[in-house]
Amino acid sequence: MTALFNDRRLQLLLLLAPGVGYLLFFFGTPLFQALRESLVTDQGDFTLMWYQRAFSRPSMVRGLTTSLYYGLAPVFVSLALSVPLSVLIRQSFIGRKLFNGLYKLPLAVPSLIAALAVIILAEQGGFLDRVLAHVGLSLPKIVRDDAGLGVIFTSAWKQVPFMTLIITSAFAAIPEDLRLAARAFGASRLQTFLRVEVPLAMPGISAAVLLTFIGSMGSYAIPDLVGPPSARPLSVLMVEGFKNGKFHEVYAMGMILSAFAIAVLIAYYTLTHRIGPQAVTGDER
Amino acid sequence: MLDIQNITKDYGPSRALHPVSVSVDKGEFITILGPSGCGKSTLLRILMGISRPSSGEIHLAGKRIDPLPPEARDIAMVFQSYALFPHMSVEKNLGFGLRMKRVDKAEQKRRIAHALEICNLTALSARMPRQLSGGQQQRVALARAIVMQPSLMLFDEPLSNLDAKLRDSLRAELVDLHRKVGATSLYVTHDQAEAMAMSDRILVMNGGRVVESGSPVDLYRRPKHAFTAGFLGLTNLVPVRAHGLQAALPWDGDPVLLTEERNGIARMALRPEAIRLEKAHHSPAEVTSTTFLGSNVLHLVKVAGMELKVTRSGTEPILEPGARVAIAIDGLQHLLVESDSVEAA
Repeated sequence: MTALFNDRRLQLLLLLAPGVGYLLFFFGTPLFQALRESLVTDQGDFTLMWYQRAFSRPSMVRGLTTSLYYGLAPVFVSLALSVPLSVLIRQSFIGRKLFNGLYKLPLAVPSLIAALAVIILAEQGGFLDRVLAHVGLSLPKIVRDDAGLGVIFTSAWKQVPFMTLIITSAFAAIPEDLRLAARAFGASRLQTFLRVEVPLAMPGISAAVLLTFIGSMGSYAIPDLVGPPSARPLSVLMVEGFKNGKFHEVYAMGMILSAFAIAVLIAYYTLTHRIGPQAVTGDER
Repeated sequence: MLDIQNITKDYGPSRALHPVSVSVDKGEFITILGPSGCGKSTLLRILMGISRPSSGEIHLAGKRIDPLPPEARDIAMVFQSYALFPHMSVEKNLGFGLRMKRVDKAEQKRRIAHALEICNLTALSARMPRQLSGGQQQRVALARAIVMQPSLMLFDEPLSNLDAKLRDSLRAELVDLHRKVGATSLYVTHDQAEAMAMSDRILVMNGGRVVESGSPVDLYRRPKHAFTAGFLGLTNLVPVRAHGLQAALPWDGDPVLLTEERNGIARMALRPEAIRLEKAHHSPAEVTSTTFLGSNVLHLVKVAGMELKVTRSGTEPILEPGARVAIAIDGLQHLLVESDSVEAA
């Protein structure tokens, strides 16, 4: 027994078990189950029929592109807002403390509530539209619109605080001396930001982008309530399929959604690795 | 070259820097020496341009620079933390400032190659900062400042993160490099040995004021203030009664000869190595402690209610605690100029 515990490989396995074991059990098992179920017929025979359907049915193909669109577009909008916001938060100004607390509020609001609030506020005939009507203006269609602007706006509203929080920490982790060194060696504030701070904050920015992308790609409540009825993302189609008992089809859609999410993550990693610090600073590798 | 005129810095009601005026000649190596919180870093930040002075002016190479942002000043800096850009190779770190200042590419290459060579870094040019030792990183930080060929080089305690042996060797390298490059340099440190070994001139600061300035030899041998005497090496502050060119010590013995005439009560900064001890069985002076330090021995000697620090060569016979000794003072001595404003803080 003692000899068994002295085995180096066994020791390592036991040490890794709490972390890797948890992941394998709670993430690996459902994923494997979903993969298995997506590859069998109702009778339990092997088939690729569900995948074939997913890639040939126009509504499914549309669902896939819509999922990617709803995954990526809010991330770009959030990133464009979060980076300047995290820079602003580092400055000292009157009311900074209050602002610092207020901008995080959307974190506490569930997606469902956020979507409902957008409907009440921004739908045609909603609160804002009625206010604008007093001055003879009307609100353009931004809820359930074909371009999905409502979904992008609502998702971004939810994501900005989360992204800002991570990016602010990434900027805060950069030693002050590096900023001072850049300035002392002739870089302006903007050059210091672009050539020193952004490259060094890249790991944090990447993490924020990936986490928000995964969140918005798989989100259900916002696209279901605020999105157009014509283009439904896979997440919404999956819930509909689940309600109708099309479990194998739902599993196949889930696997496709996961595969695309992973593909985007890999593409993003490859891209940021290639245009990492060296590219931002104008250095060639 | 550098002319600092009445620079002050206030943080609300408290004054971090009392009017400071310093002139540094071209090619001079000047050290600002003082304890933590003495205002030396505040002065450095003002010179760098990351902190604005409350009043006063700074001129560098004939140009007023205090209203300018850091990037518009012709100053390079070597940081205590090295502050190398971790995402750039050694070569790119050196080229950063040159790229910012849009120096011609061929000139960039030439200057980088030269700096790498004189700092013994040529073989490491492709390495990333994380792949270098502390000493190598500090040499890169130094080379990064040298390539800029600035009007003024600032050093913010650049050796304090290194171990003692490496510090000694880099100190010598720094002196050697300064001789080769000849850049006007302002070095900030709290290490008196570093200040004395490297500087043409030392500026001693305390409590946001310049206490005094002078060459290392002058400040060590003829300090005007007790603070300087105490901060630069070991000293004994001894009250004496001066009369003309002589001063009577508080214990029995021959009067001490003075460098200049004075009358009345004064204080003298007696260096431990200026005191000679000889065994004398009936003397009132007694050795209370003996510490062997290798090259020398530090004795504490109790006499006239005081405890004198005395160093003797490590090759001399060691006096054991309890030994009775006669005290003699070598050479001409110098009396302190008392001034409350610089001693208080």
